[in-house]
Amino acid sequence: MNMSDLLLAAEHTPLAAAMRGEVGGEWLFPIVETLHVISLAMVFGSIVMVDLRLVGNTSRDSAVSKLSREVLPYTWGAFVCAVVTGSLLFVSKAHVYFYNLQFQLKFLCMLLAGVNMAVFHFGTYRQVLEWDEKLPPPRAARLAGALSIALWIGVICFGRWIGFTT
Amino acid sequence: MLHVAHHWANSIAGTALSGWFQNESWVVPTSQSIHIASVSVVFCCAVMISLRLLGLSASGRSVSQLVNTLVPWMYRALGVLLLTGIVQTIAEPVRQFVTPVFWWKMFLIICVLTLTIWFARAVRSNAVEWDAAARPAGAKWFALTSLGLWIGIVFCGRFIGYTWELYQ
Repeated sequence: MNMSDLLLAAEHTPLAAAMRGEVGGEWLFPIVETLHVISLAMVFGSIVMVDLRLVGNTSRDSAVSKLSREVLPYTWGAFVCAVVTGSLLFVSKAHVYFYNLQFQLKFLCMLLAGVNMAVFHFGTYRQVLEWDEKLPPPRAARLAGALSIALWIGVICFGRWIGFTT
Repeated sequence: MLHVAHHWANSIAGTALSGWFQNESWVVPTSQSIHIASVSVVFCCAVMISLRLLGLSASGRSVSQLVNTLVPWMYRALGVLLLTGIVQTIAEPVRQFVTPVFWWKMFLIICVLTLTIWFARAVRSNAVEWDAAARPAGAKWFALTSLGLWIGIVFCGRFIGYTWELYQ
């Protein structure tokens, strides 16, 4: 079974049919899509809060480690919701989305954002206690924060463009 | 009433600016992308403040600290939302004005704005009292109302695109 068969099999599930509005109401897709928007709003909003602190721009009265502990649980909770709702949207037209350029670029941006986060977390962040309240934060932290904001804006733009190209 | 709105929509659609926005296929998706990024900022700030007021967040920050940090960001993002919203309305006036969902959205926005401005002022003028209580009195209904309004606004925003053709 190759990729194409797998995608077609996903499209032929009852769940995918329901998402396309063939079973039940035609409102399932927009409702799931709105829940996806709410999830991504929490993901992006909370990531930007931490990133702007890493850049040294806002929440300057909170230590980086404290702010991360406060905000990042929201990010991960919302990320799980975004994955679940996103998967539902995906199966409705798996074949179309998978080969859509904007969809692929969106996932490339997310992959790069993940790599950026991992490099920062296992690098500069290990010594966070040394620079927790220092302003401006070290160069590597500022770079990681700025890069993260740019990549997540890319995720949003390509995500929105999927709707105009499929 | 929607009849009048349809008339306005047609006059906006006839302007040169609207024509230009319609011809440049990148304008609407770009504006919508900026709109979503700004929605994220406003929505996330509202959720963080509400959860803090409900005593559900692990935040070490006091209510006034949170409000002083986040509310200015909400106002900035709301400015961007207004601008991009105007661009989208000029580009596709009929899509916006014919569906009642657009007008519900505007109504909910006015409600949540009034509520937020009132709340931010109340916290600023009495920071000591708000910070002293773990779960400030009266905060619960504000938190729940504002959460409900914001979720309603996102739903309306997304549903404009799915309902307008029904009212064509």
